[in-house]
Amino acid sequence: MMLRMVLDSWRRAPGRCGMMVLTAFLAAVLLTALLTISVDIGDKMAREMKSYGANILVEPAEQAVLPELFANGQGALPAGEAVLDEAELINIMSIFWRNNIIGFAPILSGEVESATGRIPVIGTWFNKSLPLADEPDFRTGQLSVSPFWQITGVLPDDEQPEVLAGVELARQKGWKPGDTITLAGRDITVAGILNSGAGEDYAVVAPLKPVQEWLDRQGKVQAVHVSALTVPENELSRRAGDDPDSLDAESYDLWYCTAFVSTISHQLEEAVSGAVARPVWQIAASEGVIITKLQWLLLLATFAALLAAAMGMASLASGSVMERAGEIGLMKALGAGNTEVELLFHAEALPAALAGGALGSAAGWGLAQIISWRLFGAPAGFNWIVIPVIALLSLVVAALGVHLASGRISRLSPAEVLHGR
Amino acid sequence: MTMPGYAIETRRLTKQFGRVLALNEVDLAIKTGEFAALMGASGSGKTTLMNILSCLDSPSSGDILLEGTAVGELDEEGRRLFRSRRIGLVFQQFHLIPYLNALENVMLAQYYHSVVDEPSARKALDDVGLSHRFDHLPGQLSGGEQQRVCIARALVNRPGLIFADEPTGNLDEQNEERVLDILRALHRDGRTIVMVTHNPALGAAAERIIRLNHGRIES
Ligand SMILES: Nc1ncnc2c1ncn2[C@@H]1O[C@H](COP(=O)(O)OP(=O)(O)O)[C@@H](O)[C@H]1O
Ligand SMILES: [Mg+2]
Repeated sequence: MMLRMVLDSWRRAPGRCGMMVLTAFLAAVLLTALLTISVDIGDKMAREMKSYGANILVEPAEQAVLPELFANGQGALPAGEAVLDEAELINIMSIFWRNNIIGFAPILSGEVESATGRIPVIGTWFNKSLPLADEPDFRTGQLSVSPFWQITGVLPDDEQPEVLAGVELARQKGWKPGDTITLAGRDITVAGILNSGAGEDYAVVAPLKPVQEWLDRQGKVQAVHVSALTVPENELSRRAGDDPDSLDAESYDLWYCTAFVSTISHQLEEAVSGAVARPVWQIAASEGVIITKLQWLLLLATFAALLAAAMGMASLASGSVMERAGEIGLMKALGAGNTEVELLFHAEALPAALAGGALGSAAGWGLAQIISWRLFGAPAGFNWIVIPVIALLSLVVAALGVHLASGRISRLSPAEVLHGR
Repeated sequence: MTMPGYAIETRRLTKQFGRVLALNEVDLAIKTGEFAALMGASGSGKTTLMNILSCLDSPSSGDILLEGTAVGELDEEGRRLFRSRRIGLVFQQFHLIPYLNALENVMLAQYYHSVVDEPSARKALDDVGLSHRFDHLPGQLSGGEQQRVCIARALVNRPGLIFADEPTGNLDEQNEERVLDILRALHRDGRTIVMVTHNPALGAAAERIIRLNHGRIES
């Protein structure tokens, strides 16, 4: 019987119930996206913290923009694109703060022909031998720059026709470690499957040399990831970061002899001609603070979205109350309490909120993926916690909305309603 | 039900709506089991008095005793409980819920009173001669039948007090007679009944006529 009372409201006012679903839907889209991103930023951050990856990016001066992993999207690099000379990279190990350099790895990316069409490829050093005057068996590459890479199989030999296949790409193509694939007409061994949580998961990561040949960029690289030990920034390093020349001689010396990230960047620029170096995704404490602030901001936006949705629900529930004033008056005359009547409206709104919430979190999940791709070039990690949280929040929003509207219920006097005053 | 004494007593009962004095120091005493008709011109305060007697509204001042309870002193919650337990309401416009069938409309009163008890709801409809209409929606019933559903709903919790505001105002003569018969039967059964009416013929059916004029009792 009570069920009929609720069902009838849906039947009589499908528009209003539709609006309730829509309100919950929009709120859930926003909430899911915000929550997923904010949880994910924390995870990505924590991962970086643990692994201590590259913290300085060296690029050609002419194109010091955001790193585009897949050079301009498709095909070979456009002619005349600024590049760095691979031969100069060894200079990195002769800078003043060379002992703070944990490692570095060049990057050259583009697309090559495979048996099943063009695929993204990234050329780099895995653990390349780079004999130094004082250290003949020095090796460096992704092994030291990206310790967080998870590899199923083995790391390719930089001198062999071996590659890593990104985990997503490998899944798409059905590749396993040990498979032989064809790239640019050559037989290549998939030494391992790479899970990096970033763009590499969708590409083939190959030794630099063959990639240079495929892309017709012999001896060139697009960027270098450098991992260096740095000391936390202070006032001096911030001033120097803006313009080292503005420092007086004494401050300059002090700055130059301290392992600030800005100092090391500056020295890297001196070592590689035509290069600019800048800190990226820095693990410094200040970055952590920014992430926390960002998460607070997202949380605030989440809260605002919740509040707006609750207001929307409240006005819809109010409409429902007005429309059913006669019934409410009768129920109260028969002895229904305000809470009992309110319950009826909860029963009306909550399923609508759940439906909207379910659809909305699916759509919000999609939105989070899009945002994550734009921001990090990788999909957002899936967090089960988001689902119950969204379901709960949808219900809370609906309940809050109905509760806000419940003032109307208690103000309704059965005498006035029933006698049509 | 045949408790001696008065079912309804009011003293200096006054109700004011802004400047309008709808009830002016009404002193009223209705015996237990009495069938009283409340008559008077439009605007004389009949509905206002009925609303207060049936605990739908509270007086501005004055005392009111229903079956020994000083309901004027109850808060809204207390009046609500008293209403659901002790009072049956019959409306001129029936006020049935359009998407519930006759039986469910009656059971709604049980629901808000205590628990739903289908056999006794059927019995209540049976008592008003509607045993063949359980599953009909109000829209499928005639005006007279709807009013009988309304009466069955008022009776299902077996209240001692029954208030009917113009119960036959929307009915033709034939149905009016039927409703009156039911009220008479309830009266024989020992219920206290107060009925508002314009119709002198209907008033004559009651044991006693109370006349209101500008918020005061005339007789
Ligand atoms: N809720 C109200 N607000 C303002 N005035 C009211 C209200 N209810 C009744 N009145 C006034 O009180 C007087 C008595 O009304 P009512 O009890 O409805 O009379 P009757 O039922 O005898 O026609 C009228 O003047 C009416 O306008
Ligand atoms: Mg009236």
